[in-house]
This record gives sequence, structure tokens and C-alpha cells, in this order.
Amino acid sequence: MTSIDILPEAPPAPTARGQAAGTPRRTVPFDLKGTMAPLTVLRLRSLDLPIIERHLRIKIAQLPQLFTNAPVLIDLGALPGQGAGLPIGELTRMLRSCKLVPVAIANLADELREQALAAGLGIMHQAAARPRSDDRAAPVSGAGAGALPGGDPVGGNRTPTPGARSPRAGGAPAGHAGPLVVTLPVRSGQVVYAQNNDLVVLAPVNPGAQVIADGHIHIYAPLRGRAVAGAQGLLGARIFCQRLEAELVAISGAYLTADDIPEAWRGRPAQIHLEGGECRIAPL
Amino acid sequence: MSKVIVITSGKGGVGKTTTSANVATGLALRGKKVVAIDFDVGLRNLDLVMGCERRVVYDFVNVIKNEAKLQQALIRDKRVEGLHVLPASQTRDKEALEPEGVGRVIDELKAMDFDFIICDSPAGIEKGAQMAMYFADEAIVVTNPEVSSVRDSDRVLGLLAAKTSRAEVGGPPIKTHLLLTRYSPLQVKKGEMLSVGDVLELLGIPLLGVIPESKAVLQSSNKGTPSILDETTDVAQAYLDVVYRFLGEERQHRFIEEEKRSFFGRLFG
Repeated sequence: MTSIDILPEAPPAPTARGQAAGTPRRTVPFDLKGTMAPLTVLRLRSLDLPIIERHLRIKIAQLPQLFTNAPVLIDLGALPGQGAGLPIGELTRMLRSCKLVPVAIANLADELREQALAAGLGIMHQAAARPRSDDRAAPVSGAGAGALPGGDPVGGNRTPTPGARSPRAGGAPAGHAGPLVVTLPVRSGQVVYAQNNDLVVLAPVNPGAQVIADGHIHIYAPLRGRAVAGAQGLLGARIFCQRLEAELVAISGAYLTADDIPEAWRGRPAQIHLEGGECRIAPL
Repeated sequence: MSKVIVITSGKGGVGKTTTSANVATGLALRGKKVVAIDFDVGLRNLDLVMGCERRVVYDFVNVIKNEAKLQQALIRDKRVEGLHVLPASQTRDKEALEPEGVGRVIDELKAMDFDFIICDSPAGIEKGAQMAMYFADEAIVVTNPEVSSVRDSDRVLGLLAAKTSRAEVGGPPIKTHLLLTRYSPLQVKKGEMLSVGDVLELLGIPLLGVIPESKAVLQSSNKGTPSILDETTDVAQAYLDVVYRFLGEERQHRFIEEEKRSFFGRLFG
């Protein structure tokens, strides 16, 4: 879902090409791949559609670039009776009116299956769709790199760019992959997303680049592009950088643009955290 | 072993075609067998800058589409032994550059024992530019000392690391070189232009050379004679340095400050 292939089909390996020149080539018109694509999860805690809509619109207004046209998984696991009685058709219409794209539904009551299919939703069965134990999540939680306009997604679930990898620490407990570590510069137009994870960048994040993490972001180099920490609503997320020259920093929906960052902080080592719902810059 | 080199930048008007013509000519002057391919299908400039526009019969797209043989489209330079041009088509668009055809032409050139295959990229980051870089082993990223040009080059460096054959197969990454063109030490001193240090800090790739801003470039492209052929100009000297460095020889960087040396003593001492 996040993969952007600009070249329509990869040319064959150089050795194969010479031989293939004269013979007709078998071309498969598509690739079918099972993939873990980042997806925004809308985990409902209420059946009251007008209230849900009001909160959604506030949330979207805070970070429109993350949510506009974002594919959304509706999760009913937190509702009593798995959402029995919920008018699915009305819900999907409301989401579309908020410029979200509902694509699938999970943890739903059996009686809702027909309605969900009729509303054009896929039904998701995996454990991954179960509610997470993290209960701090806001009504809308999660935003994937796939939802970001105009970027080349790097890292996350996509085949990582050279230098972007998440090494598994030797003694780490099972299920802990360690932070996503990026060793090469993040260049203009690139997006790195550490899903459900922290992000460590050992090279500059250049103007026009974007780094996103559901956890903290550590940049041991200048931050000149955009950094979005706590992308799924983790209020305690922080951004650390050796040199603050950012175009934008955001934590859990609150943000500062380059103009909002006081001149005195430019070029200084800094950390950004949330205080009273706003981003605060503090020395490192 | 043939080496495929892409001359690219993202931004237009920074000197890609001038650099392609001069580097190709310079390598041929050093006894290498070289071909320069114009990937700017639809605009066609390289043949003009190299002074062979009146001998174009078939072009790159004809060869891709199997409408002509490669030998029919290749133009031999009359001044320098071993130098060839594969001109772009003016009447087609970049959609004609499909990967299999381009790959086949590059393989044929490799089979003809060219030492260097220079791909002159069009501006932008769309199909033409992507095809020019797709098969590259090395890239010369041409940048002007100016914020928007540097940002575009940064974008292109990202694409070189992700959208090329080497990146997709998972081979060694493309070797990248920075060439700073239209550099004016006087303007840098006045603070009107980014300095070499500023650009290097942001892009973080090795510096291949600095080409000074000069009227000689315009004159020579109008005449169809690459600047490097007139050794009296500072542009020719700068491009000759670039060619020597590219072939692995040590050359002091020049044309960076009005009083030479001191700055680079500090930077690369």
C-alpha cells in the first residue's frame, strides 16, 4: 500500500536481457504481495456518530497532511458487544465526508458483517487488528507513512533504503525489535516512518525530508526537515536533536513551524516535548 | 569494463549538458573510448553543445524502438578520437524511454567496449531523469551555489539511493560526486552565494570540482565547441581537473577563493 513504484516494471537483470531480446517475454500484469502496510486505526469508544464526527474533525484539523485521504481501519473491539447496533453505512459515509477512506473493519459483531460488506469494507481477522493495551490513544490513533502526500516512503514496512534498518538487539525480549536506526542522510522528499517504534537518525535530516515515529525521535545530527513524534498519540513522545533547524516539529498532533521556533534556539541542541498540550523546546 | 555515469541535478539550467559535453570530451582526450547519450528526449541539446547537430540522422529513440541500428545513430566526433554522441530525438517525448529498450542500448554500448557511457539527464525527477540514472554506476550531481539548486540535488541524491538498478538489486550503492558550477568567489564573499563549505555540509558527498562562472561557457556552447578544448580559459582548466580527479589522480581544488589555497587548506588540509 505504501510502495510507490515509478518504474512500471523492473527491467530484467543485465545477463538475462541479452538472451531475452529476441524471444517474447512473459509479463505478469501485477505483483500480489502480502504486506504489513501502515494503516490508521479508528478505534471507536462510542456509538454516538455526531460526537465522533466532531472530535474527528478537530483531530484532522490539527494535522491535515497526516489524515487527508488516509486509509482507515475501523476497530470495534473497544465497544460493548463489539459494536452491535452500529449503523455501519452511516459511519462510513461520515468518515468519507471527513476525507478519510475507510477500507476495512475489525473486531465486529457477527450481525454487522453483512452491513460492513455492503458498505464496501474488508473484514480483518488478524490479531494485529486487536486493540492495543495502550489506552492513552485518542479517538483517532495512528497515521502511516502511506497517508503522507508526495513522499517516497522509506523504512517502516517498506523495503528499507540502504542504511535504514532496525537491528534486533541480541538480548532483547521477544517481540522487541529495537528502534529503527537510519545511518544515511534523510534527503529532501524522503519519508522515514518508525511504526510502533522509536527512531534513531545518525545523519542529517535535510530540508524537505520528513521523519516520523510513533515513539521518540533521536537525531544525532542537524534536524533541518520535519520531525513528527508520537504519531499515534503518545503524549510522552519527545524529539531530540543535536542542531535544531527544523521546518516543523510535531508531537501527538501539536506542532511548531519554523516561524514558531524562537531564533535563539536555531542551530542549538534541543529537545521538544508536550506541556499543557503544546510543544515546548528545552535544552539538551 | 564499461562505466555508466549519469550527469544529473534535479534543477534545470545548472550546467548538466555543458558538464556532459566537457567531461565526455575530456575523458576522450585522455585516450578513453566515450559515448555521451542525450536523455533529454523532446528537447535535444547535447548535439548542439558538442557541435554535431548537422550530422544527426537517427537518434536514441530510433535505436530503442529498433528503427535503426546503434551504429547508424552514433555520431563520431571529428575533433577528438574515441568520442561519440548518441543524440536525443526532438519529435518524441520521454515516454519513449522504456527501461528494457534503454537497458538494451546500454548493454550494446558495453559490448562495443566503451570505457565510459555518459548519460546526460534532463531536468526534473520524472521519467527521463529516472531512466538516465537507472543504469548508472556513478553519478556526477551538478549543483549551483544556490539554495533551491542544492535542495533539488539533495532530492536527486535520495532517488539515486532508491530508484536505480543498483538500489533495486541491492548491489553496492552508486558512487556520487558533487560538481559545483557557476561559482563566483566574489559573490560568496559578499554573502550573495552559498560557499563550497555550505553546499558540502548539506549534501555530504565528495567534491569532484568547482567550475567558475564564466562567459566562456556561453560562447563555447553557441559555437558547439566544448570549453575544455580551449585550454586558455579557467573553465577548461577546471573541467580538466575534474577529468583527472575522476580518473583517480590528485589535483588541488582551484577557483574557490580569489586568493587560492587558504580555504581549502582548512577544509581538506
